[in-house]
Amino acid sequence: MSGRLCRRLLRLGLPASSAGGWSRLSGAGLNGTGPPGAGRSGLSGGGRMNVFSREMKQRQKDWAAQLQDSQQYDYLRQEFHLHPPPSLCTRSDQVGSRVADRVYDIARTFPLALDIGGGRSHIAEHLSKEVVERFCLTDVSQQSLRRRRPSEIPTHCVLADEEFLPFKENTFDLVVSSLALHWINDLPGALRQIHQVLKPDGVFIGAMVGGETLYELRCSLQLAETEREGGFSPHISPYTAVTDLGNLLGQAGFNMLTVDIDDIQVHYPGIMEVMTDLQGMGESNCAWNRKSLLHRDTILAAAAIYKEMYGSEDGSIPATFEILYMIGWKPHESQAKPAKRGSATASFGDLSKTG
Amino acid sequence: MSGSNVWSRTREKMRLFPELFAQCANEAAVYGKCVAATTTGTQELRKDLCAKEFEALKICFTNAVSASVSNCHTESSV
Repeated sequence: MSGRLCRRLLRLGLPASSAGGWSRLSGAGLNGTGPPGAGRSGLSGGGRMNVFSREMKQRQKDWAAQLQDSQQYDYLRQEFHLHPPPSLCTRSDQVGSRVADRVYDIARTFPLALDIGGGRSHIAEHLSKEVVERFCLTDVSQQSLRRRRPSEIPTHCVLADEEFLPFKENTFDLVVSSLALHWINDLPGALRQIHQVLKPDGVFIGAMVGGETLYELRCSLQLAETEREGGFSPHISPYTAVTDLGNLLGQAGFNMLTVDIDDIQVHYPGIMEVMTDLQGMGESNCAWNRKSLLHRDTILAAAAIYKEMYGSEDGSIPATFEILYMIGWKPHESQAKPAKRGSATASFGDLSKTG
Repeated sequence: MSGSNVWSRTREKMRLFPELFAQCANEAAVYGKCVAATTTGTQELRKDLCAKEFEALKICFTNAVSASVSNCHTESSV
């Protein structure tokens, strides 16, 4: 029970990272989960969004990490192998390897990089020492950090909440985040903190689920609950739309933004496998307004509806994961700026005269 | 949490769900069509709109469950 005592002490005196806490680069980091709601001196002041229970998310991630066969749920985060046998495939890595691809696209070496919500570190295993010299991995879940995948880059692990980064300003050259931002309560605040810990001319490359992810599951449960129980409660967490992402990054101070979408459809035998896999990934619902119970009738009805409305000919059902990739740079004088008005040396009208 | 508890027992029971559900594919399709029709048609979905179809599905499912339970018992008694 000393862990709980430790957490209570931290709740009393934890300063917001905007006050400039030092980077804790040792293995035993501090647990940054603050109390929900009142009492937090957040950057955005009053009216903080509080959708998710961060403590519950930590417990879910810890539970998922210590599963015996946790690797089989990594397919979304890991590398995509063609024609995988379902029990052995690691499809989760698709996102991790694609984020690493985007890092490689930038022809630079990053001395110090940060992975937010990295969990078992699916990005670092695809990166090489020439691109990133030192890596810092944060997550709320200690079990995930303990079981992280090996990488050739020297890595420090920090136990920290994504909403309260315990790092000084202008520390990192590169910040990456893969499939962790969709559980953050105050996304604008978190993006502002990322902007702060970046050095000028540093880059943030992120991937988060958004938009229409799991809309089949959401609709099936909604229809089933309406028909069986007369009303419905949200079972899928709210996602950021791709159109909002540009605004969010701009407001946080990033420029030269790039946002693109990746639609991944994964086929499952049935609705139970979808839900079991989501649980195994550590992606169970942790919103405060979640219903803790799903009636057996509703599960049966949802299974029938999912199969009928979205099933394919071979009997499998698809689940859509819409991954939003974003790249944003911290401003620096060396970055290209729009040209001043009136400085044009050629006219668009001349285009018709070419050829 | 080690040993057998309500969560591990419930998880074990839920593991049988896909097999049992597959035995009632026809009833499930009929129920699913009834609900799916409300998304395209003019009729709005309300409670127990497809109660008849669901009852058929539930009876089929319950029979599948008791069949599998009695199978288990006959196997273990041998």
